[in-house]
Amino acid sequence: MTRTIERLSLRLLTAIDALASRWYGWRFNPLYQSVTIVVALYLALLITGLWLILFYRVGAPWESVASVTANLWLGNWVRGLHRYASDAAVVATAVHSFRMFAHGRSWGARTLAWVSGGLLFLLLLLCGWTGYVMVWDTFGEYLAREGARMLDALPVLSEPISRAFTGERPVPSVFFFITLFAHIGIPLGMGVVFWLHVKRLARPVLLPPRPLMWTVVGLLTGIAVVQPLLMAPKANPFVLPAEIPADVFFAFWMPITRNLGGGTALAGIAATAVGLLIVPLFTARRGAAVPALSKVDEEICTGCLQCSLDCPYEAIAMIERTTGRSELVARVDPSLCVSCGICAGSCAPMGVGPPGRTGRDQIARVQAFLAGSDRRPGQVVVIGCVHGAGASARALTAGGAAVHQVDCAGNLHTSVIEILLRGGAGGVLVLACPPRDCWNREGPRWLVERVYHEREAELQSRVDRARVRIVYASAGERHRAVTAVRRFAAEIATLGMTVVDRTINIDAVCAPEEPAVRT
Amino acid sequence: MMRLDRALGIAVALAASMAIAWASNFRVTPHASHDAVLRLAWTARPERVEDCRPQSDDTLAKLPAHMRQSLICEGTTATYRLEVRREGTVIAEQIVRGGGLHHDRPLYVFRDIALPDGEVAISVQFVRVDAKSTATSGEGAHVRSSDEESSRHADANTMDPERRRREGEERLWQRGEAAPASLSLERRFRFVAHEVILVTYDAGRRELMAVEGASR
Repeated sequence: MTRTIERLSLRLLTAIDALASRWYGWRFNPLYQSVTIVVALYLALLITGLWLILFYRVGAPWESVASVTANLWLGNWVRGLHRYASDAAVVATAVHSFRMFAHGRSWGARTLAWVSGGLLFLLLLLCGWTGYVMVWDTFGEYLAREGARMLDALPVLSEPISRAFTGERPVPSVFFFITLFAHIGIPLGMGVVFWLHVKRLARPVLLPPRPLMWTVVGLLTGIAVVQPLLMAPKANPFVLPAEIPADVFFAFWMPITRNLGGGTALAGIAATAVGLLIVPLFTARRGAAVPALSKVDEEICTGCLQCSLDCPYEAIAMIERTTGRSELVARVDPSLCVSCGICAGSCAPMGVGPPGRTGRDQIARVQAFLAGSDRRPGQVVVIGCVHGAGASARALTAGGAAVHQVDCAGNLHTSVIEILLRGGAGGVLVLACPPRDCWNREGPRWLVERVYHEREAELQSRVDRARVRIVYASAGERHRAVTAVRRFAAEIATLGMTVVDRTINIDAVCAPEEPAVRT
Repeated sequence: MMRLDRALGIAVALAASMAIAWASNFRVTPHASHDAVLRLAWTARPERVEDCRPQSDDTLAKLPAHMRQSLICEGTTATYRLEVRREGTVIAEQIVRGGGLHHDRPLYVFRDIALPDGEVAISVQFVRVDAKSTATSGEGAHVRSSDEESSRHADANTMDPERRRREGEERLWQRGEAAPASLSLERRFRFVAHEVILVTYDAGRRELMAVEGASR
């Protein structure tokens, strides 16, 4: 059931991703950048919130906010930006969560990230709730009443909180002080949870590319200017407004809870929140479906550090070796490893990687591919990531290429490219996912570094780079991938045939040039 | 194609921004019905129903001066019945007890009653339900006025007279703070759709009172 939902979600996401990439290019695809957009919006909220708080008075909440809102030159649009940024943050957080769910990146070593992310989402909603209550207009009063109604269902207070809003006496300033305190305190707490959220990531990317960031902030500011915020009427306990202006992003539950008892509504919200947080229990792979974690062959490991540097999840540490050829040896932390296999591509001597996907395994597979496939001499071979356009093997084959699929272009050992070219391929086109769409975070980045910038384990200098190309294409960009293959094939045709040389010795290729020998 | 895609992208971004602004100010109708509301909301300390027994001079003499108390009272709090009538017909009924697990905290009434608009006679009765002291009193136990007990031992020499006076005052204050045995409000109200009329308890005047919205 969960798998089916995941598959359907992925299909939907792939289609939307492809559209967004077509409109904005992969660099500025806002769906790829959803989480970094949340961080940018969080900063915008902090800045505008700090400014707005200067004018807020707990003794006269509605009047002070109305005074800010009445200032069309500055106050109104700053408040508008604050509001719309919070709305956009809810949308972007939902997109990011959906993305992680659809990718199946919500369980195992990623459980903490999922749970902390869910918590951040709930805190964001709670923070928005307090923000609207602070205004104390009809919507704020409604939210306060609903919150009080739900809390009153808990058998802990001798007197219901709802009585504070009956009109017997004015709502005390201390209520607004507490709300203000929560509105400031929650985002600070979110900072701590966010640290938990990203703490197992190496080199977390926090902000989107500047053009995208300023476009998002600019658009929200533009909307705030074009459509100035209006103040809703002041809360009045003696009036039951027939209509109130509600923010759908923070009150989407209103139509459901309105007709429920306080206890039922609270139980429903709590169950939804818990359901969100325990998703990893349902999405976790079990038994044979669990991918094997990376392993280190200590006999081969030279202690060069590269795998620990490249690991996107900081799952590999270098520890002191007691016996053997080098001072250090890599050690994989199984609680952090997600089996992305990036380390397999980073290890020149092919001593690390998930079983079945190490550099040696990749070479064995590609040799079987060369022996088994009926390719034309000089034909382009596409090494396609199965999470991206590489999954569309039939379309790529129809486009004139032979297809060799891999789990992730980022764990591709560069020797595979060389072997393909030596085996008679006219050219090798690697179809990788766009960098921010990589299921393993940094795969495409390290691939480019290894092929073009001599990052370990680099593609040997003897390999003609004109016969190698890297193209980013997501799963929904099949046509783009096929077009790229055709163009590349046309270019390769002008280069002439390659010399077939299948006398490659894996051990010779794999042996480190200068192992760090213990002295 | 590229230009068309870019133009589409810009259009979608603008539309998404507009959609955010629109959804941020979405009009909802939380109170769709055209009813008015009679809101009953008050808090009061329920009357204590106690069994008080005097402490003998010997017992008092054994206690440190600051712990001497002429009467030891045990008991519970009174229960009240709330009844609301509209043109003589009961529309709400409720038994109200003190708050907290032992019902020894102040009682509260909090109830919204939806009514159609128009002028109507409303009667609110809040009456103490006769209550006995707790079963722990046993046979022969009696509910006795604290002052009565206090004065019965007025001639005891063990207690400081000033302290005895303060004890009596304290009991009087507690009794004065408690909700009266019967509260009643009978009035004609003009209910207007989407407006609230509040009936609450004025502790100073010890009576129920109606508060209508500022618009009236």
